[in-house]
Amino acid sequence: MKKLWMIGLLIWCGAAQAAETAYLVRATELKSKPFADAETVATLAEQSQVEVLARQASWMQVKAAAGTGWVKMLSVRLGKPGAQPAKSSDSGLGKIFNLATTGSSGSTVTTGVRGLSEEQLKNAQPNPEAFKAMQDYAAKKDVAQKFAKAGQLKPEKLDYLDASQAPETEKQGDQ
Amino acid sequence: MKTKLTLLAFALSCAAAPAGALDFNFGDIGKLLDTVTKVKDATTEIAEPQEIELGEGVASNLLGAAPLLKKPALQQYVNQVGLWLALQTERPDLPWRFGVLDDDNINAFATPGGNIFITHGLLQRMSSEAELAGVLAHEIAHVLKKHHLEAIKKNARTSLLTDVAAHAADRKGRNPAIAKLAGAGTELYARGLDKDDEFEADRMGVVIAARAGYDPYGLPAVLQILQGIDPGNSDFALMFKTHPTPSDRLGLLDSLMSNGFEGYDARPNLAARFRAVSGPGKKP
Repeated sequence: MKKLWMIGLLIWCGAAQAAETAYLVRATELKSKPFADAETVATLAEQSQVEVLARQASWMQVKAAAGTGWVKMLSVRLGKPGAQPAKSSDSGLGKIFNLATTGSSGSTVTTGVRGLSEEQLKNAQPNPEAFKAMQDYAAKKDVAQKFAKAGQLKPEKLDYLDASQAPETEKQGDQ
Repeated sequence: MKTKLTLLAFALSCAAAPAGALDFNFGDIGKLLDTVTKVKDATTEIAEPQEIELGEGVASNLLGAAPLLKKPALQQYVNQVGLWLALQTERPDLPWRFGVLDDDNINAFATPGGNIFITHGLLQRMSSEAELAGVLAHEIAHVLKKHHLEAIKKNARTSLLTDVAAHAADRKGRNPAIAKLAGAGTELYARGLDKDDEFEADRMGVVIAARAGYDPYGLPAVLQILQGIDPGNSDFALMFKTHPTPSDRLGLLDSLMSNGFEGYDARPNLAARFRAVSGPGKKP
């Protein structure tokens, strides 16, 4: 188990360090640390290209021409500027991740029949045994609560975001 | 006309119909038909036990299309993450169940009543529990808002819905009308929901993840990963066909989360716990 954890950590680091080409959807401040009040290293122009190094909550560590630092992750889109969606099937953190996990290209694209194709879904026959197995995996409330506590997950109250909320408004409200 | 007659007959025989509908006179047929319309709406409202039974039928069908991944520790882990999220919502007492499908496709599904699926293909592209939580919370929101249930109802024949509602009264054994509805409903997963339902589930998903104590940027992080995948990749084809583009979904969360979601940067994403259970291995 410990070994698995170590392997997991190695892969996580590997994935985090694998640079991914991305661009900014708006002019964005490049911060020295992932905090709003951290020093601004540079202001990156809209559409400027960066390499993604890691994500940490709402921040993304990127390497830009002006230096390495942190930008708001929602200002970032993967791929090359002006070319969306990404063209290469090798792009995406996932593919890089597969490369890290398997040591191969991670390509599964050429396999023939797929379980969850449109056709398969239309012709699906019930599998009650599998459903029974799924029921058996269900968690109990007290187990889920202990699990959350072990992960230091602290519940809090928060209203849903209002559908009518326009991009510029900031108030949260009930649905 | 046939439908109207059926409804009329149904209204007259239905104990739940307003008393006024029973002592009508023929001079007031317009008013009566209004009442009938209301009765129809009321009876096609599917009660929670039927919602759950329908969802189990659809889940069983989805499991016929792709089997469960044979990794009990991972299945239990995903159930713990999922139930913890569901406990933060307005429907904590549904029979919530979560399953990882042994499939390379990149997708996740929810069926009425609380059955949620995520493919191994999508799970393998994630790197933290917060990301998993974001996707599960999006699916939970579909269940809370009954998006699939409403879409299934919209596409079903009225007579079938009437049978479902009528059979609900005796509560004996399985309802054959529900099994039929589940069969028809499974096709919905090849077509997808309305875009607005997906956007609503994204909006709710980030809030549910935040309520559960997670870094709420897990869902946008997964959307960003999806946004980087070539839409021509066949593993991504069905998801791409049945959802708004990841770019549009990111755009919505971008505008919604730019204010009020700054205070969560210290939240745990539990990447190590996720990797310890999900493991590095890809199936051969």
